[in-house]
Amino acid sequence: MLNLIKTWKALSAQGIMGINRRNADYVLKYNKRHLYPVVDDKILTKERAIAAGIDVPELYGIIETEKEVDKLPGILAKHKDFVIKPAQGAGGDGIIVIADRYEGRYKTVSGKIISHEEIEHHISSILSGLYSLGGHRDRVLIEYRVTPDPIFKGISYEGVPDIRIIVLMGYPVMAMLRLPTRQSSGKANLHQGAIGVGVDLATGLTLKGTWLNNKITKHPDTAQEVEGVQLPDWDGFMKLAAGCYELSGLGYIGVDMVLDQEKGPLILELNARPGLNIQIANDAGLTKRTHAVEARIAELKKKGIEETPEERVRFAQEMFGHTARQTPSA
Amino acid sequence: MRSTNTHLKFMVALLVSLGLAITAYQIFVIGIPVTEDATDNLWTVDAKVEFQAQSGKPVKVNMFVPPMTDNYVSLNESFISNNYGVSVQRDNGNRSLTWSARRAKGKQTLYYRLVLSKRYGGEAPKAKGSIYRESLPLEGPEKIAAEALLSPIRQHSADVETFISETIRRVNRPGDDNVALLLAGDNSVEKKVQVIDLLLSVAHIPMERVRTIKLVEINSQEPELWLRSFNGEKWLYFHPESGQQGLPADRLIWWLGEGELVSIEGGKKPSVTFSLNSNELNAIRVAKMSDEKTDASFLDYSLYGLPLSTQQTYKIMIMIPIGVLVILVLRNLIGIQTLGTFTPVLIALAFRETQVGFGIILFTVITALGLSLRSYLEHLKLQMLPRLSIVLTFVVVLIAIISLFSHKLGLERGLAIALFPMVILTMTIERLSITWEERGGAQTFKIAVGTAIAASLAHLLMTIPELVYFVFTFPGVLLVLVGFMLAMGRYRGYRLTELFRFKAMLKDS
Repeated sequence: MLNLIKTWKALSAQGIMGINRRNADYVLKYNKRHLYPVVDDKILTKERAIAAGIDVPELYGIIETEKEVDKLPGILAKHKDFVIKPAQGAGGDGIIVIADRYEGRYKTVSGKIISHEEIEHHISSILSGLYSLGGHRDRVLIEYRVTPDPIFKGISYEGVPDIRIIVLMGYPVMAMLRLPTRQSSGKANLHQGAIGVGVDLATGLTLKGTWLNNKITKHPDTAQEVEGVQLPDWDGFMKLAAGCYELSGLGYIGVDMVLDQEKGPLILELNARPGLNIQIANDAGLTKRTHAVEARIAELKKKGIEETPEERVRFAQEMFGHTARQTPSA
Repeated sequence: MRSTNTHLKFMVALLVSLGLAITAYQIFVIGIPVTEDATDNLWTVDAKVEFQAQSGKPVKVNMFVPPMTDNYVSLNESFISNNYGVSVQRDNGNRSLTWSARRAKGKQTLYYRLVLSKRYGGEAPKAKGSIYRESLPLEGPEKIAAEALLSPIRQHSADVETFISETIRRVNRPGDDNVALLLAGDNSVEKKVQVIDLLLSVAHIPMERVRTIKLVEINSQEPELWLRSFNGEKWLYFHPESGQQGLPADRLIWWLGEGELVSIEGGKKPSVTFSLNSNELNAIRVAKMSDEKTDASFLDYSLYGLPLSTQQTYKIMIMIPIGVLVILVLRNLIGIQTLGTFTPVLIALAFRETQVGFGIILFTVITALGLSLRSYLEHLKLQMLPRLSIVLTFVVVLIAIISLFSHKLGLERGLAIALFPMVILTMTIERLSITWEERGGAQTFKIAVGTAIAASLAHLLMTIPELVYFVFTFPGVLLVLVGFMLAMGRYRGYRLTELFRFKAMLKDS
């Protein structure tokens, strides 16, 4: 019992955010319920992003009804590789990634050959709601296939690593690189077994990581150090994330991005209830940072100033980019 | 934000204090027992009146009966008497009963039966009495003896109360010549009381005789004589021989004054024998019975005013908030993951029909089978509605099979599954399989175990008879619960499981 109280005190001294605090002070306070569809529906997110001039994987086409499945050959004709996704899917289910064509058939990234009919069946499954939350009717999204930058080769296993930045009222507060593992079967979801690696907000250098609530320093599959990797175009990621506040209207979000070999940072999706393990990956508490941002907003409000995304990124980098100074050699 | 916080705090304080106030009122003012097991003695007092009738003459028997103004309340009164007319009168704080008949012959036996219990509801009427009276006439040696006795009594007393007890003490002291003179050789209680009365009258202190019956289970007892005097606020009771003060709680006042218990016209040799016995009765039932007898209808607007069958339903329904509270605490304070918020409560309700142990086994088996069927259906790529229908049908068939087998094996438990648990089962399977798809098997297992724990705990709490009684009798408690839930809505602290989840962060530092 005494031990638990000690743990409690130590955690709260470090400013570690718990679920109750995240829900009460951030999700409920900053995220208006009626805006949720913008993040729950990937098509809506993408449309908003395009309208706001934010980079996303190019949209090839949308299929909304069974009848529109006939349009599929037309959509696919110009593209050799593409991704098929349910608009409201969760946890990466129902996603097919086609890497190549093979004698009139399609070849997935894992090398499986599937026919056009199978793809059509998959699409009608998505439409009927097989992969959507609660089994609602869904829409199908066909988009550009992201080719991960080779920089991640050594520290990821299959799949596409992504970068999550938590953004409070447009201010990035914490970032994490999510690397798929064999256990997560190529998915970048932490509770499915992917690893999270903290990222220094100022420099884009990776820090230590977390895997299943533990701290780690090496990737379990490739045994490479995860620390000290320089993410390219880091300021681009930060600006992209900061701009998502204007795009969604949601004040507390997790922005998931990928680094494409050719197109650079792209937004994949937004999350209105970002997880808390990012704190373990960064070895830092969220509460301290969110309080600093809230204080900044209150101060600016008094003066009647509103900052641009660039200014917000600069503030966050100066304020939270602490690790670079502590470990200058990394 | 600040104003909502103040608002919230105000609401919490308001609800909690309102709930507590209502409950306290019910317990302390109305006097509803706190537990159902609190039993009360229900006393049945029989007074048997026997006399010899004189043939040819009309008979009229007068007997005092308890005035019922003290701590007891009569639940039922009956007069068992063939051919006699009965009437009840009140006078001077007494109540008396008159049996009358035109003619009677030989030995007559009449019964008076009173069923009584401690008073619930309403307050005893306010005591009133006189605090002054004229002295009784006194002459010659008696006057001198009385004055000789009174002067030390005056010296040794401060007020009416001490004066009376001092008087009683002196009258009962053996070997006092003045007392002996006044008693004139008669050492009976009646005579002593007469002397005490005389002495008190000289001091202008009014005094009244009180005849009491002791509520104990013995078959014959004589009414015991007590004295009482009014001090301006309340009646002070004294035992005329021992000087003991205050009437014990088990005494029932039968009548006041000097009159005989029974008086008779047209008969002779009247005698009265008392017999008492007590039944233990559920306290709330006593309260209900006395409620019908008195004006204070405190139970009219409680849930006890509902028809019995409806009460049964409400006894289950009113416990649902308790179950929800369990889930709330488990989820937000402890951090156990459950399947949705209210599914565990529904499962807990389903356990009512299946019992916990068997319910858990049943739920586990059927859910496991249902989930495996669903994962098989997954391969067939069916749409949601047909898939759900198949699962439901499968569950029905499974339950039928289980019932059949357990019946054949002589386990009647298996037949306990009604419609309600079946619907809950199907729902649980569907929700679990969605979780499986979204969050993987390990997570689903964790959630399923969490749900089972939460449901069992909620069920156990919701079926504690004392708690059911308490909440049902004092629904004001629910307001306190709402207050707590409101406060929980703003709880920002860590969940217990988070202390372990983030433990890794404390290792280096």
